[in-house]
Amino acid sequence: MPRLRLLWAKLRGQAAQGREDEAFDEEIRQHIALLEERYRAQGMSAQESARVARSRFGNVTALKERQRAQRGILSPAESGRDMRFAMRMLARRPALNVAMVLALALGIGANTTVFSIVDAVLLRPLPYMHSERLVEVQSPEGLGTFESDSVSYPDFFDWRAQNRSFERLVSYHDASLTLTGVPQAVHLDGEVVSWDLLPLLGLRPALGRGFRPEEEKLGTRVVLISHGLWVSQFGSDPSVAARTIHLSGEAYTILGVMPATFRFPVNAPQNSFWTTLALDNDGTPKAQTANRGEHGTSVMGRLKPGVTVAQANVDMRAIAARLAKQYPDTNTQHDSARVQGELTAMLGDTRTLLLVILGAVGLVLLIACGNVGNLLLVRARERDREMAMRSALGANQARLVRQLLVESVMLGVLGGLAGCALAFLSTPAVLRLIGDSVPRAADAGVNLPVLGFALAVSLASGLLFGLAPAITSARGDLLSPLKEGGRSETAGRNRLGSAVIVGQVALGIVLTAGAGLLVTSFIHLSRSSQGFNPDHLLTFMFETPDSRYTNTRAEFYREYFEKLQALPGVQAAAGSMLLPMTDNLAHLSFENPEHPVPKGLQPSATTDVVSDGYFHAMQIPLLAGRDFTDADTETSPQVMIVNQAFAAKYFPGENALGKKLKPGARNGSSQPPAWREIVGVVGNIRRAATERDVDPMQYLPASQFSKWCCMYSVVRTGMDPLSLEPEVRNLVASMDGDIPITEVRTMRDRIGLELAQPRFAMVLLSAFAGLALVLSLVGLFGVMAYSVTRRTREIGVRLALGASRRMVLQMVLRQAASLVVTGMGLGIAATLTLGPMLRGFLYGTGARNPAVLAGVCGLAVVTGLLAAFLPARRAMRVDPSVALRYE
Amino acid sequence: MGDKKSEVLQGTLDLMVLKTLHAMGPLHGFGIARRIEQVSDDVLDLNEGTVYTALLRLQQQGWIASKWGTSENNRRARFYTITRPGARQLERETENWERVAGVMQRVLKLERQA
Repeated sequence: MPRLRLLWAKLRGQAAQGREDEAFDEEIRQHIALLEERYRAQGMSAQESARVARSRFGNVTALKERQRAQRGILSPAESGRDMRFAMRMLARRPALNVAMVLALALGIGANTTVFSIVDAVLLRPLPYMHSERLVEVQSPEGLGTFESDSVSYPDFFDWRAQNRSFERLVSYHDASLTLTGVPQAVHLDGEVVSWDLLPLLGLRPALGRGFRPEEEKLGTRVVLISHGLWVSQFGSDPSVAARTIHLSGEAYTILGVMPATFRFPVNAPQNSFWTTLALDNDGTPKAQTANRGEHGTSVMGRLKPGVTVAQANVDMRAIAARLAKQYPDTNTQHDSARVQGELTAMLGDTRTLLLVILGAVGLVLLIACGNVGNLLLVRARERDREMAMRSALGANQARLVRQLLVESVMLGVLGGLAGCALAFLSTPAVLRLIGDSVPRAADAGVNLPVLGFALAVSLASGLLFGLAPAITSARGDLLSPLKEGGRSETAGRNRLGSAVIVGQVALGIVLTAGAGLLVTSFIHLSRSSQGFNPDHLLTFMFETPDSRYTNTRAEFYREYFEKLQALPGVQAAAGSMLLPMTDNLAHLSFENPEHPVPKGLQPSATTDVVSDGYFHAMQIPLLAGRDFTDADTETSPQVMIVNQAFAAKYFPGENALGKKLKPGARNGSSQPPAWREIVGVVGNIRRAATERDVDPMQYLPASQFSKWCCMYSVVRTGMDPLSLEPEVRNLVASMDGDIPITEVRTMRDRIGLELAQPRFAMVLLSAFAGLALVLSLVGLFGVMAYSVTRRTREIGVRLALGASRRMVLQMVLRQAASLVVTGMGLGIAATLTLGPMLRGFLYGTGARNPAVLAGVCGLAVVTGLLAAFLPARRAMRVDPSVALRYE
Repeated sequence: MGDKKSEVLQGTLDLMVLKTLHAMGPLHGFGIARRIEQVSDDVLDLNEGTVYTALLRLQQQGWIASKWGTSENNRRARFYTITRPGARQLERETENWERVAGVMQRVLKLERQA
């Protein structure tokens, strides 16, 4: 505290320097006048008393300076002088200084851009009350085979009732509904939540009221709408609350309108409605809200004050273990729970990726600082004489160090300003590159904290690259620089500069190797086969609401697909519930009579429900058996198809065809599960572009699952897929005007979206690696050129004594090579250590890929020699007679 | 300079100024210098300018406050007063000083041991 108070006093004193100076002058004058009076009263002469008074008081000027220094942080007169002088020095060598400012601007600009994203994604708290106490509670699958950690409603209800850690616990999951009764039916994304979501978040509707506990009950249809929907569909009508609207054929009461800034979940800004979990309850015993085997919702909680995440974890695991004993049939494989901070859970691996990128861009700045530091070091050598002269004329060491630091900090600040401009320009481009692949990234912008960061980085780099030259310059060796011979030097002298180069090369190797790994991985991802042909495929989705299609859905789809296939330009068309490259997930357990296990331990597999002709339309090879046909109906024998991975996993060394399984035994879908015969085996596909292992899959015929809604359509064509969009829209509108089509995308676009994160990581890291490479080459070039200039006389002597020009060339190149190779060694060691951090983001390559390392080293050697070649050639062409007269 | 005069020990000037203000109430710099001179019986070799350095230091710590006013002979002068935290600091420092002085005294009185 006292130190803070002192700093505050000094800052205030700094601001009031001028006023304080005057006041203090007067105080001193008075004091001395009083002393004089006193001595005169003792009988001294006027002159005598003035002299004694002064000596009694002490050195007035020194005192004033001391007071001024103590009062504030810098003396205004001196720092003004330093700054003016620094400006003059900077203006004297414009090319050199522009180069330095440019290097810094690139470094600081790149850092500011990345930081603005890190700030928006990682640092900003979630936009809810006390968001640090919000956590996600998950129900990991015991076998650990699936990524989904969703929770079943009955488990959630038990968690809500039994836990001792949370103020509130809410469920939430995505849903989509169709708004009708407006001129054009609209597809809406939204969320199904438990009643107390808003109290948990600490927010209220801007208009109307939130949910009440009884509104979770069977049959209730109430909805909160987003500000955006309120404006676009309800003309900002202030009396919209209590109005009835129709969503997917059911009547809902609008309770209120959320504020314009409201987003829930944070990574779903498009959400435009929130309704209660009453939607998931159809009153039957098979309803989702009653089915402990159906894991379909996420759970978020607010910790009680003072309860830690670890304590909540222990609490929830105990409850989950208890439920597993109580309900072995459904919960044996869900006998645990996991509590994580909400932001951590939402970001997952992305946090690591962003930190890796932030680290990488930090290295780029370090390299840039190295360059500027080296140039300053060179200039400091040139100014040795000036410094020695000023020192000899009485400037004190501290002043000289400060003078040099002011110069480098000003360089830093200039670089920072240019860097901020660069960040302004580049942030939108980087955000486009990121797209939706990083939650909250779209909020990034150059704002106050970001500018603060840029300023801090600029000042810090100014100090960093300025300190070494400043200290070496002001070492206080007055004589040798002033002696005429001080201009020549030999190889060993510029040790600091060489060390910087070695460091730069090492950092450059680390960055280039990281980028190389990501590029290798990305090439692998985009070249590897998806298991189907993704070209010329149009995909889209529409809903067939239960309220109108419960009994007619099968009929509707049969007619729809017939008409779709008949459209001109369409080669094949089909439907799939779980289209690849969408982030939909469905796992169904199945009973296998050949491997009976207790019900709770039944295996499960990714399950897709597809229309007949799907494999043909996707060009997924049929390896054995037959495809579904329109002869497979609700009443015909029940059938299924599996993929190769499924057959290999569950029927190793056997023929899967003809085997019977009972999928959905644990799931309890709307129909009683039936024994199904495997009639076909198809090739494996990649469900996600970044999938590591092939998923065993079971395919069920849509014609035998007519209660399931919402298939994606896939259309294969020979033309540009998007050119079919208008006809497809017309077709669906002609069949049902209240069904809006959404997510119209080509399959290639979907794959592109899935690869957005690896792509942006690759592009950013490659750009940084490129920058690093250029900066270190320029640095190497600079140091070599300088060294050759300084050694001109030495080289002249060597030549005069009979050294061949070749030997001179080799000597210079050898010097450069030793720097590059030393840096390379360090870089390789660092890469091998740091590489595994990238492991989670690499596909088709290890984190220590020797080919990548070899390539990077080759690049470093070639470019390094190139950078050294020009100075070396100049050394070779030194004319001994000129060189010896040089000084 | 008379060789009988003692240098002011580093750090003790602050304590003297603080104590003077505590004992005498509001004073200007000249007054403080006079008071220290008087009490020390002219033993201390005090550069009176350094009183101001001490005053600024104390003020920055928040132990004293200052205000412009009129002196007894009708001149404008800056008056310093001790603050509440200053009084507490004085207490602490006094205690500390006495403890150190006590130890010094005992050490200096040690008899040579046979």
